[in-house]
Amino acid sequence: MKAAGLLIASLLFAGAAPAQQVKWNFDKVAAKASDTVDVSLSGSLLQFATKFLSDSDKDEAKVKKLVGGLKGIYVKSFEFKKPGEYSAADVESFRAPLRPPDWQRIVGVHSSEDGENVEVYIESDSNGIGGLAIIATEPKELTLVNIVGAIDLDSLSELGGQFGIPEGLEVDKKK
Amino acid sequence: MAPLEDELRSALRRRDPSPDFTERVLARVAAAPARRARQPWVRWVAAMAATLLLAAGGLEYRHYQGERAKDQVLLAVRIAGSKLNKAQKKVQMLTHRSNS
Repeated sequence: MKAAGLLIASLLFAGAAPAQQVKWNFDKVAAKASDTVDVSLSGSLLQFATKFLSDSDKDEAKVKKLVGGLKGIYVKSFEFKKPGEYSAADVESFRAPLRPPDWQRIVGVHSSEDGENVEVYIESDSNGIGGLAIIATEPKELTLVNIVGAIDLDSLSELGGQFGIPEGLEVDKKK
Repeated sequence: MAPLEDELRSALRRRDPSPDFTERVLARVAAAPARRARQPWVRWVAAMAATLLLAAGGLEYRHYQGERAKDQVLLAVRIAGSKLNKAQKKVQMLTHRSNS
């Protein structure tokens, strides 16, 4: 994780265009999925939603702080009835827009035991970290996450362990 | 047939109204209760009630949309967090294996 942190720290100094939503084409995969979760929150909708997150509720207050400065959150999760419904080429098509120099893969975990793979990408922009992308694959599930905007890693760290966010994920801290 | 024709002719012959016919009609019209005109304030109250109902409906719909958006934010954070959690656990597991 330290190596990942150093990698991110180096990215903080790299100038780049403002972060934007990743352009993924889901049509092919969506056609084969039995169930789909689709969360698409643009900046204005996100800001609107944060007004309804409670300050008195501990968890909601932390989420409010985390997403307050973001420009968008996009999640697509596909479930399939049987393994092999999506191909390696499908996954590769999702990796395609996440190329250097804008994007850097900071974590790539591949498990042959349970067939679960998770790849975490960070986008750098002129202000530091400008976006996050996750490609998570399981034999019968494919999840893509794209968070656009300056991610407040302090808030992310505070949310460690809650809502499934890992505790002390040392991706880096925005200076 | 002649008596019948005479009776019919007599029954259907033109008769002039009595001299006070017009007065009696006008008197009855005047005696009939006048239809009350709707008060202007009733319209104002109805308009205000309709406006309030529309505003309340709009606010309720906006609240519904906000709650829905909030649920989506929480769901998105939950999914993103769980995937990061999975990645971190696997990294920790691999690190532990390589160290031991």
